[in-house]
Amino acid sequence: MATLVQPRPGDDVPRPNIPSANNRLPAIADYEQVDRDIIATLGPTLGWFAALGLAILCLLIGASAWTYQIYEGLGAAGYHPPVMWGVYIVTFVFWVGIGHAGTLISAILYLFRAGFRTTIYRVSEAMTVFAVMTAGLFPILHLGRPWKFFYLIPYPNWRLIWPNPKSPLVWDVFAILTYLTVSATFFYVGLIPDIAVLRDHETNPVRKRIYAMLSLGWRNSEHEWRHFTRAYLFLAAFATPLVLSVHSVVSFDFAMALTPGWHATVFPPYFVAGAIFSGIGMVFTICIPLRKVFHLEHIITINDLDAAAKLCLFTSMVVGLAYLSEFQVAWMSGNQFEQEYFWNRVFGQWAWAAWIMLICNCVLPLSLFSQKLRRNTTWLFMISITINIGMWFERFVIVVPSLSHEFEPWQWGGYHPTWVDYSILLGSFGWFFMWFLLFIKQLPVMAIAEVKEIVPPRLRRPADHSHDIDIGYPDSAITLEDRL
Amino acid sequence: MQGVLGAFREIDATCDAITELRKKNFSEITVFTPTPRHEFEHALEPPHSKVRVFTLIGGLAGLTFGYWIPIWISDYWPIVVGGKPVASWVPYTIIGFELMVLIGSLSTVFGMFALARIPRLTMTVGYDPRFSHGDYGIWVVAAPDRASEAADLLRQHGAVEVRNER
Amino acid sequence: MSNDTGSPGVKRRDFLKVLGAAGATVGTVGCSSEKVGKLIPYLVSPDETVSGVSTYYATTCRECSAGCGIIAETRDGRTTKLEGNPEHPLNRGALCSRGQSAVQGLYNPDRFRGPMVKENGAWKAIEWDAALTLLNQKLAAARGTATNAVFLNQHESGSFPAFLDAWLAGYGMRPHLSVDFESDSAAIEANRRSYGVAWPRLSFGDAKLIVSFGADFLETWGASVPQQLDFADARAKLDGAPRFVYVGPRRSLTGLSADQWIACKPGSELAIANALTGKTSIADAAQQSGVSAATLQRLQQEIASAKPVMALAGTRGANALDVALAVAALNQANGAVGSTIRPAEAMTGFEGISRFGEVAAAVERMRSGAVPIAFVRGVNPAYSLPASARFADAFGKVPFKVSFSMYPDETTELCDLVLPDLHSLESWGDAEAARGLVSLQQPAMDPVFAGTRATADVLIQVALKEPANAARYPQKDYRSWLIQRFPGGMGAFTSTLVKGVGAGTVATRTAPAAATTTLAASTPIDSTKGDFYLVVYPSPVLGDGRGANKPWLQELPDPVSKVLWSSWVEIHPETAYRLGIDRGDIIEVSTAAGKVRAPAYLYLGIRPDTVAVALGQGHSSVAKLDQFEPKHTDPNVVQWGYGRYARNIGARAQDLLGIAGDAAGGLALVSTRASISKTGDREDLISTEGSARQHGRGIAQAIPLSELGRSPRGDENGVAAIAAEGDAKAPKEGEEHIPGEPPTAFLPGLRSPVAADAQGELGSPTSADRGKNKGMYAPDHWSGMAERRWAMTIDLARCTGCSACVTACYAENNIPTVGAPWQNATIWADAKAGFNIVRGREMNWIRLERYFEGADDAKFTEDFEARFVPMLCQHCGNAPCEPVCPVYATYHAPDGLNVQVYNRCVGTRYCSNNCPYKVRYFNWFGYGEPDRKQYAFPSPLDWQLNPDVTVRQKGVMEKCSFCVQRIREAETRAKTEGRALAADEFTTACAQACPSRAITFGDAADGNWTVAKQVGDRRGYHVFDELNTFTAVVYLKKVNHSEPAAPAKA
Repeated sequence: MATLVQPRPGDDVPRPNIPSANNRLPAIADYEQVDRDIIATLGPTLGWFAALGLAILCLLIGASAWTYQIYEGLGAAGYHPPVMWGVYIVTFVFWVGIGHAGTLISAILYLFRAGFRTTIYRVSEAMTVFAVMTAGLFPILHLGRPWKFFYLIPYPNWRLIWPNPKSPLVWDVFAILTYLTVSATFFYVGLIPDIAVLRDHETNPVRKRIYAMLSLGWRNSEHEWRHFTRAYLFLAAFATPLVLSVHSVVSFDFAMALTPGWHATVFPPYFVAGAIFSGIGMVFTICIPLRKVFHLEHIITINDLDAAAKLCLFTSMVVGLAYLSEFQVAWMSGNQFEQEYFWNRVFGQWAWAAWIMLICNCVLPLSLFSQKLRRNTTWLFMISITINIGMWFERFVIVVPSLSHEFEPWQWGGYHPTWVDYSILLGSFGWFFMWFLLFIKQLPVMAIAEVKEIVPPRLRRPADHSHDIDIGYPDSAITLEDRL
Repeated sequence: MQGVLGAFREIDATCDAITELRKKNFSEITVFTPTPRHEFEHALEPPHSKVRVFTLIGGLAGLTFGYWIPIWISDYWPIVVGGKPVASWVPYTIIGFELMVLIGSLSTVFGMFALARIPRLTMTVGYDPRFSHGDYGIWVVAAPDRASEAADLLRQHGAVEVRNER
Repeated sequence: MSNDTGSPGVKRRDFLKVLGAAGATVGTVGCSSEKVGKLIPYLVSPDETVSGVSTYYATTCRECSAGCGIIAETRDGRTTKLEGNPEHPLNRGALCSRGQSAVQGLYNPDRFRGPMVKENGAWKAIEWDAALTLLNQKLAAARGTATNAVFLNQHESGSFPAFLDAWLAGYGMRPHLSVDFESDSAAIEANRRSYGVAWPRLSFGDAKLIVSFGADFLETWGASVPQQLDFADARAKLDGAPRFVYVGPRRSLTGLSADQWIACKPGSELAIANALTGKTSIADAAQQSGVSAATLQRLQQEIASAKPVMALAGTRGANALDVALAVAALNQANGAVGSTIRPAEAMTGFEGISRFGEVAAAVERMRSGAVPIAFVRGVNPAYSLPASARFADAFGKVPFKVSFSMYPDETTELCDLVLPDLHSLESWGDAEAARGLVSLQQPAMDPVFAGTRATADVLIQVALKEPANAARYPQKDYRSWLIQRFPGGMGAFTSTLVKGVGAGTVATRTAPAAATTTLAASTPIDSTKGDFYLVVYPSPVLGDGRGANKPWLQELPDPVSKVLWSSWVEIHPETAYRLGIDRGDIIEVSTAAGKVRAPAYLYLGIRPDTVAVALGQGHSSVAKLDQFEPKHTDPNVVQWGYGRYARNIGARAQDLLGIAGDAAGGLALVSTRASISKTGDREDLISTEGSARQHGRGIAQAIPLSELGRSPRGDENGVAAIAAEGDAKAPKEGEEHIPGEPPTAFLPGLRSPVAADAQGELGSPTSADRGKNKGMYAPDHWSGMAERRWAMTIDLARCTGCSACVTACYAENNIPTVGAPWQNATIWADAKAGFNIVRGREMNWIRLERYFEGADDAKFTEDFEARFVPMLCQHCGNAPCEPVCPVYATYHAPDGLNVQVYNRCVGTRYCSNNCPYKVRYFNWFGYGEPDRKQYAFPSPLDWQLNPDVTVRQKGVMEKCSFCVQRIREAETRAKTEGRALAADEFTTACAQACPSRAITFGDAADGNWTVAKQVGDRRGYHVFDELNTFTAVVYLKKVNHSEPAAPAKA
C-alpha cells in the first residue's frame, strides 16, 4: 500500500508522506476531544434538511417513474431489441461496484493494518450498505413482471418449483443477499461501542433510550472488547473473500453468456478492480465535502486522502490493463465476432461512450502520480466525479454495445433511453443519499473507539515511542494544515 | 455481589493497579476502557476468545448446506437446460461459498454475543459513563472485609475516584 | 428419486413431469392471471360442431383474381385460420400472405355493421327494408337512362358475374365492369392473341432457361402461388434446373430470385426482345437499353442453346403490349409453346377482366353527367385510379351512388348508400379454377355482423320488389340459384363442397365488351420531363392497396425493402450519395401528374437513373378523423379512409401517374420520368433490417451448381443413403464444409432429443447421474418423448422470400402486431406508426432475413445476389438460452423442443441476450390485454385467435414453439386412435403455408420422416455451428446457376 517517500531537501512538498501504517492524529489531544469533535457532527442543520429534501424528491421522481413503468410495461423504457438490458442493469452493476470500496476499506485494509483506513472506514462502510441496498432494487426493477420477483428466491413453496441454480442470476440472488446481510452486520457490530458512547453522552431521554437499546448494553469492559475484537477480525476475514466473490459473481452475469464482449475469462478480476476503483471514487466524493462541512480535517487528514488516492491510482491502472487485455484477447482470438465487436466499440457507433470511459478511468487518474495533486482536495474531488461518470459508462459500454452488435447482423440495433430510464437512475441516487444523510446525523461518521486507538493514551510516566516506527519528525511539528 | 469501583485517568496507572490487585488475589476484576488496549491483555492475561469455534462450525455448516440445496433442487425436478448435467456441481461452488460466508459470519456474531454476554438489559453494578468517554475503570469484587483494602490499593495507584457498590 | 416408489401405473410425479415437459400445454392450460370471462357451455351443440374440435370448410380465396382453394379452420363457429386446399389444382395446399390475411378482412374491426345512408352530407344507419326500398325507387327513377348506369365489381371468375349481368339486364343496364387494378392487361391481351387464352399455365419445370421481362410471377403478375410452386419445384431439381434471367430496371422480389439481372432502361425491354428474336441488331438494343452488348450477346446464345426457354413479359410500360407480343414471338421461336407455356391448361381466373380503358371511359361518362346510378362492389377506384383520372369529381356527378363495400374506403365515402356485403368467408359463390373446373365458395361461419348481407342476395331481394323482375328469380337466395344451375344438382353440389373443387361450370359470363379504349396514346417515357425514370409497381404485400387495412400485412415487411407500416422511395445508393440523400431522408418525387413525399430506401437492385415507388399505402379520408384515438372502441365512429390500420399511413403512389395507357388499354405504371428533391427532414426508416450484409458470417450460405456436382448416390441428393449411414460416418475435422460431402458433425445432435445425450449421459463430464433417474429424458420412459427429436430443414434453393410463412405464424400463434400508431407508451411517447418497429420490437417468431452479396462498394452493378433466410428459433440441443434462465421458464423438453413456459417467465430477458440467433421476442406492452391501448386484437379481430395458443401477457418472453400445439394435437389424435404417429402426418404452420415447399418439419430421430432424410443432405449446414449449439434447424445451401460463360460466383 502506501510507501515511505522521503522528500529531497528543498522539496516544496509541505511535508513528507508518512507510512500509512503509522497513522497519527497530532491535532487530537486526548480521548475526550475525539468524543467532542465527532459528537459535534450530530444534530441536524438547515442545510442538512435541504439536502435530505432534495434526495427524497429525486427518490419520489424515480418511484413514480417505476410505478408508471409497471403499469405500462417495460416498453415505456428505452429498450431496443436486441439490447434487452439497458440503464437498469448498468446502474445495478454501478451501485454494486460502489459498495465494494467500503468493504475493501473496512475489511481488507483492516487485515492489512493500513492505518489510514481508520478515519474513513465508517463512512465507506455506510456507503457500502446503502449502495448494496440501492443495487438490490434494480434486478427487481428491470423485470418484465416485477410482481413475480419471488420466483427467483429459493424457498419451499406450494408450486413445488425452485429456481434454476445453474443461472448466474440465481447466483446473484445468493451473492447480493449475502453481501447485504454480511456488510450490514459488519457495519452494525462496529457501531455497537460507538453507540454506547453516544448513549453515555445523550441527554435527551428518548434518544438516550434508543441509543441504549441499539448499544445492546455495551459496557466497554475489557472482557467484551476481547471477544469483540476477535469477532471483528473474523468478520473481516469473511468479508475479504466475499467482496472479491460478489463482484466476480456479478461479472458472471456477463462472462457466462456467449455474447461477444461478454464472454471473457478476464471479467471477474476486471470487475473487482473496477468496483474498488469506482468505490474509492465515491469515497472521495463523499468524504471530501464531509470533512469540510463537519470540520474533521484534523481527523480525516490529508495524509489519509493521499494514501487513498494512491489506492485509487493503482486500481485505475489495473482497470486500464483489463481494458487493454480485452482488446488484445479479441485481437489474438482470431474470432471474427469478437474482433468486429471491439472495433465497433471504440471506432463504431458506440465510440463516444467508450472514449468517455477510457478518458475518465485511465487517463485522468494518472494525474494522481503527482503528490501535489494527490494532496489537493479540490482536484481529488473533481477526479472522483469523473471516476463515477467513467465507471458508469464502463458498465454501459459493457452492456449495451455488446448486445447491440451480436452474432446476427440482421438484428443489429441501437439504444435510446427514455425519460423513464433517466428518472429511475436519478431516483437511485435519491434513495442512496437519503439513507446516507439520515445516517450521518444519527450515528457517528467515524469509529470513535478506533480513532481513540490511534490517539496516544494518557500516561503518568513520560511517554516512550520505542514501539512506534520512527518517522523522523517530532509530534510537535504540527503544521497549520493539520489543524484545519 | 458487592465490590469496589475505581476510575483512573491514565492507562499505565490502571495497569499497575490491575497487576497489584491480582497479586493480592483479587480474582474477579473487570476493567473498563474506552478503547481496546493491549496493555490490559498483558496485565490481565485472559484466556483466548472462543469466537473462532463458532466461526468454524458456522462456516462448515454453511458450505455443506450451500452445496446440498442446489443439488437437491436439481434432482428434485430433473429437467435439462442447455444440455448440462442435471446436477452440475461445479457452478454450485458459488452458492456453497456464499452460504459459507453468510452463515459463518452470522454465527460468529452470535458467538460474540453469547461470549460477551450481550445484549444485556441492565448495566448491573460497576459502570460509569465516563468509561466510554476517556477514563479507565476497574471493578473489583470484594467481600466487605476486604473492600477497604481494595479501595486503598486503587487510590494509591492514582484512582481519581473510588466508590463501593453493591 | 421419482421412480423408487413401487406403485404401478402412472406416478403422480411423472405425471407432473409430463405436464411440465409439455411446456405449451402448461402455457395453454395454465391461464394468465387475467380474470376468466363468462363461459357458456353448449347444451345442445349445433350440427357438425363439437365444442373445442375444429371443423374444416373447403372454399375459395377471393383476395386476388387467381382463385386458389382454401380450407377454413373453424372452431366453435369462428374461423380461426386459412390454409391452402391440398385438393385444389392451383395452389395444392399452399397459400400466400394475402390469402391468409383474409380472416383479418373478415374480422376487420372497421367493417360496416349494417346499411347506412348519406342524408345531406351526414351518414346515418338505416334498416335493410328501408334501404332496399330506397334503392328500388332510385332504380325505377333511373329506368330511362339505365343503359348508362355503371357497376364496378371486383373481378371474380365463376358464375356471379353472369348472375350480375343478368340482374343488370333486368333493369336495362349494360354489363358490369370487372375490375382488377393489379392485372396486367397487356400480358393478357398478348396471351389472348398469341396463345388464345388469357393466362396459359406456366410450366417452369420444363424450361431450361427462364427470361422474365419485368414479369413478377412470384408476386403480383398472375397467379403467384401456383407459379411459385412450379418455379420452386423446377429450381429444386438442381441439376437441369432452369437458369433464371431477369430483365428490368428494378430488381423485384422475383428478380432477386434470378441468377442474373439485366438492368435495362424502362421501356427498352422492347428493343432487347426484338434483338433477341433477331428483328433488330444487338448493338442498337444495347445502345437503347444501356446494357452491354456482350451481355445481350451471351443471352442470345444461351437462348439459342437452351431449349425450351420460357420468356415472360410483365413490363407495365406504355409499350407493354408490343413487348409482350415480341416475347411471345420469342417463345414461339424457341419451342416454348406447349412445353413451358401451356395454353391447354389455361388458368381461367384472368378471363374477362375489364381494361383500365373501359373504366376510364365509364369515369368520363360519369363526368359528362350521363350516368343516373352507379354501383361499386369490392373495388376502390377513388383510391386506386391515378389522381389525374379525377375520379371523385366525376363520381360526384352521379345522382345516386351505391356501395356494396365491406369497409369504409375512399369510394364508399363518396357514395350515398352503403349495403355492406358479406365477406367471401361468410357467403356462397364459386370460381372457375381452370377451364371446366369449378371451385366452390361456401360460408365457413355465420356473418360476423348480423347487419351485413350478401350482395347477390340483396340483388335478388331488390329484384323481388319489382313484379317484372321478380319472375326471373324463382329462387329466393343466391345459394339456391347456384345449386339449381349446378351440374348434377344438389347431390353433386354437396359432394363437391367436401373437396371444394369439382368438374363442371355453373354459368359463364357474357363475353367481355370489346376493348373500347379511350386512352390517348401516351407519350413515350423518354420524352417526359424529369431526370429519373419512375417505376410504380403493385406491392407484393398490399397489392394495389386492398391489403392495407389488415394489420398482418401492414406488419409484414416488404420482401425486398423490408419496410413496413410506411411508404418508401427506392433509389440506388450511388445516386443517393451523389445527391447527398441518406437512408430515411424524406424525398419528394414529382411528375407532371403530382408529388409524393416518402423516406428514401437505398436499394442496390435499381438502376441509378431510376426511382421506384410501390402502390398500396396512402389511404385517406375526407372526414377528419383522429388517427391516434386510443382504442378505436366506439363502433359508431366509422373509420373512413379504409380503416384505422390504413388511414394516413405512407404515401399514395397513384398521385404520380398520368392516365397513360398501353395499346391493350391497360394502365401504364411505368410511363413517366420524375424529378426528385430532398426535403431536408428525415425519419427513421420503419424497417426490420439491421445490417443487410452477412459480414462473412455464413448465415445464408450458397454453393454454385458447378461445385455441387452430381450426387455420388443416384437419387436427387443422396440423402437416404447418408441418413442411413450417418452414425457410421465419424465427423472429420471441417469436412462438413467440403461441397458435395454430407455434413456429419451435427447429425448426432439431431438424432438424440437432448444433444448433450449424444455426448453421453446428458453431457455430464463425471456422469454423476449415469443410469439412474434421467426422468422423462430416459429413452425407456413410458411417455416415449425421448425417442423423438423434432427438427426442421429449410431449403434455401427453394425459398423465394415471399414471407407467406411469416403470416402463417402470426395466424397460428396469436402473435400481436405492434406497429400501429397507438401501440406505444402513453406519457411523453410519440404516437407514430411503426414506432415499435423502429425500436426493433416486432414480434415475428419467424422472420425473413434478406442478405446481399456482392456490390460491396455502393457502386452500381448488375452482379449482386440476394439470399433469403427464414430465421426462427433453432431449438438448439445445447440451447444457450436455457441455463441462464433463473426460473426454468425455458428448458429442453425430452422430445428436443426448446420450450418456453409463459407462466413461469418473470422477464429477465437474459435468454434473449444469450441467444445467438436473436429469435426471442418480448412483450414490451400489454398487447394481449383488451383494456389497454396497445391491445393488438380489437374486437372482433380477437375472434381469430387460435384457442390452442395462449395470448401472452405483458412482460413475458415468447418465441417459436415449433407449433407445439400441433405436435401435441397430432400425438393425442394418434393416441386416441391407438396408433403410432405416422411419418409426415402433420406439419407446422409455416411449412404448411410455404408456396415454395422450402420448409420441412418432422422427427429427425425417425428415419421415416422426410426431414430425417433431408438433414443428411450434402447442402445442409447449421447457422453458427461453431457455437456448438446443435440446432434442430438445418438449412440447405442456396444453389446459384452461374452464367454458362462467366466464372462461377457463390
